[in-house]
Amino acid sequence: MPGSDSRPFFLNLIKIRLPVTGVISIFHRISGVILFLAIPWFIYLFEMSLRGEREFNQVMLDLQQFWVKLFLIILLWSIVHHFYAGLRFLCTDFDLGLSKQQSRLTAWLVILLELVTFVMIMYGICV
Amino acid sequence: MSSPGLQGLRPWIIQRITAVFIAFVCVYFLVSFFSFESIDFEQWHQWVYSPFNTVLLSLFLIAVLWHAWVGVRDVILDYFPNVIIRLLLLSLVAGVLLASMLWGLRALLVVIS
Repeated sequence: MPGSDSRPFFLNLIKIRLPVTGVISIFHRISGVILFLAIPWFIYLFEMSLRGEREFNQVMLDLQQFWVKLFLIILLWSIVHHFYAGLRFLCTDFDLGLSKQQSRLTAWLVILLELVTFVMIMYGICV
Repeated sequence: MSSPGLQGLRPWIIQRITAVFIAFVCVYFLVSFFSFESIDFEQWHQWVYSPFNTVLLSLFLIAVLWHAWVGVRDVILDYFPNVIIRLLLLSLVAGVLLASMLWGLRALLVVIS
């Protein structure tokens, strides 16, 4: 009966505490949607950059803007997360790492590899 | 609907095959970009329009758009139970993805300069 115990009888997304495997999963979805939304913009930049030297330099200049840079950083994170979380899901398709312990371990491994790769690429771009 | 009951299997497999291909190509792109000596138009243009890279980029584009289609389709089917809204959103997404493909392939295959 609603109200007779402390269980919530409505879905409060903020109060739900997801396990690390669930966090990986929902961010795989969120990063996927972000990447999808960026496709037309990426194609636009790609096409522009190939039109000529002037257009190429203009694209390079546009990418230096603060908000664009911020968006690019979010996109980079999205790609890196989608990559590693996706590899993990491919492994589960082959019945690899299905136990509770293993799946938690590989979820943390995804986060670790993701951070390392993200920092390495950011470092590679900045240097 | 030639194989009733299997409608979900084909997109599922396409999602996995394109995923593996995209993953490999991403690593190749990353290695290529970091081996560029400088970022200028000349080098970028030459890299994109070398025959190998043009073909690879075209295949990559098709794989990414196909992968995105299956993924976004799943997301829409999960969150929008209303048939009319589903149809509208799916049509919109399909339109954006097809337009993106034509635009991208045009830039790749119809060499402008």
